[in-house]
Amino acid sequence: MKASDFIGREVRDHEGASIGVITDLRCVQDGPLRGGAALLRVDAALISTRHTGATLGYDRRPRQGPWMIRAAVRWLHRELRVVPWSTIAEHDGVLQITTH
Amino acid sequence: MKNLFAITLGILTAIGGFVDIGDLVTNGLVGARFGLSLVWATLVGLIGICLYAEMSGRVAAVSGRATFDLVRERLGPRAGLANLVASFLVTGLTFTAEIGGIALSLELASSVNYLLWVPLAALLLWFTLWRVKFTALENGSGLLGLALVVFGVALWQLHPDFGSLAHQVVHPHKPAGEGTLTYFYYAIALFGAAMTPYEVFFFSSGGVEEHWSRKDLFTARLNVFVGFPLGAALSICIAAVAALVLKPASISVDNLGQVALPVAVALGKLGLAVAILGFVAATFGAALETGLSCGYSVAQYFGWQWGKFVRPREAARFHLVVLLSLILATGVVLTTIDPVTVTEYSVVFSAIALPLTYFPILVISNDRDYMGDHVNGRLTNALSSVFLVIIVVAAVAAIPLMLLTKAGQ
Amino acid sequence: MSDQPAGRVLDLNLHLLDRQVVDTEGLLVCKVDDLELEPGENGALYVTAILVGPRALGSRIGGRLGRWIMSIASRQATTPPPRIDMSRVRAIASAVTLDAHRADLGVAPLDDWVDRHIISRIPGSRHESE
Repeated sequence: MKASDFIGREVRDHEGASIGVITDLRCVQDGPLRGGAALLRVDAALISTRHTGATLGYDRRPRQGPWMIRAAVRWLHRELRVVPWSTIAEHDGVLQITTH
Repeated sequence: MKNLFAITLGILTAIGGFVDIGDLVTNGLVGARFGLSLVWATLVGLIGICLYAEMSGRVAAVSGRATFDLVRERLGPRAGLANLVASFLVTGLTFTAEIGGIALSLELASSVNYLLWVPLAALLLWFTLWRVKFTALENGSGLLGLALVVFGVALWQLHPDFGSLAHQVVHPHKPAGEGTLTYFYYAIALFGAAMTPYEVFFFSSGGVEEHWSRKDLFTARLNVFVGFPLGAALSICIAAVAALVLKPASISVDNLGQVALPVAVALGKLGLAVAILGFVAATFGAALETGLSCGYSVAQYFGWQWGKFVRPREAARFHLVVLLSLILATGVVLTTIDPVTVTEYSVVFSAIALPLTYFPILVISNDRDYMGDHVNGRLTNALSSVFLVIIVVAAVAAIPLMLLTKAGQ
Repeated sequence: MSDQPAGRVLDLNLHLLDRQVVDTEGLLVCKVDDLELEPGENGALYVTAILVGPRALGSRIGGRLGRWIMSIASRQATTPPPRIDMSRVRAIASAVTLDAHRADLGVAPLDDWVDRHIISRIPGSRHESE
């Protein structure tokens, strides 16, 4: 599996309605040790209605200038959600949030 | 002494950026047709390039990374690739124009047809790009390019009424007989000639080539704030002497010789010789810059080793891209397409491509992950945001204006 | 990776993907074109390697262009897609630093080919010009 298999993929809620696309995968470095350091574990998916501007960083950092761009990106990503990875499952090629 | 040589990076970039073939032709042409009524466009471009180059120089000094390197990180691979293709095409077009410019300048010096000079110019360029040290490249071209100061001397020698000249600059008045659309088309052309994208690739990559660090921030800023205003002043002198000599005689500029004509009128053969030396140095320097920039942008997108600071064998793909770009650009010049026409198109397309590289630099110079405490201050951000709007407006207006005015007829 | 505190949080797209990869001497290696994910114990998903090259990049570019890049690269490929195991990553900052030398990594077959067949044949290629 690759990161590109998930980033950009649409995610649906448990009723089947689309809630957006995965713009990023949040990882925590608490996995098994390999080569002297812990592996990164995929902990959550960041889901937004749009993919544009996801790697500019404005949606996740406070007060990054300039104001104009920050305002535009915040508006584009106003519905950013952080969804725990354990609640996402794949059925028939569709990513869906399960209720557990 | 080290400081003196340190500012030559800025001067080379300024000569290449402000007084390359694009500026020589556009300023001469505009001066002959519009007098000094479009100098404001050059001045706006000057502020813009100073902002833009300072940001990218600061990014290079603080993060050790060059512009295009960071474009892909912040825009993503798709948008980054689109950006790369557009930037590479525009830089390649400019490279073609510069090679044509070298050949035209040598033709002026020798009366030998420019096409015969093209292969020699290409060979000399390749040799310089391959073997000559980066600092020698800068120092040589920068110092020789200062010969263009002869335009300032010529302006002085023509004893103009400086008050009236200043009035024309400050109260721009579109000449009767020229359309408003054409006036703004040439404003965009001057703006694009002043703020060409490759200047910033070159400036920031050059900073990394010279291993700039935080303590070189002062030098980087000195480069910008001495080099670019000098270039702008020279550009304005070129327009001014054209306005004084060519405009009253209704001589329009469609070849490089006419750009130098006012200097011949003011200073005779010696002045003309110095001007031609300046042309050769400026176009050669700019050709080096654009050729390297073709390589920098491709290598930095893909993550390949780049630069003249390592042995060519360690940066094989980078050198191959530069070589192929040189061959392609030379080939286009040899199709006998008019180099002055290529130049006129290259400045307008530069204006169109500008937002693609300006926007990522603005974002990156605000990013604490790369910049630590050296992020943009409020004034820089305010000015830069205003310029972002100006750049986008110019880019969007360029093609319609080009079509409506048939490229400035 | 001895200088990373445990529990550090990283966003893959923002902090890791498309970053410049640098070897132990500071030479430029490649970009992080894609990342390999493998399931581990308790069904958790772990980042196990950096993926490099046109096949990896094509997958990220996506769409028709991406698929076209991947198909051309796959047809020409004689080796499996280059990967750098995460155990070789020493630090993740504005660039990703490895603890290996570039020559030992085998991730740039095109560069080696260009070097061998073109660049090294031109006189003067062995000397630095700076």
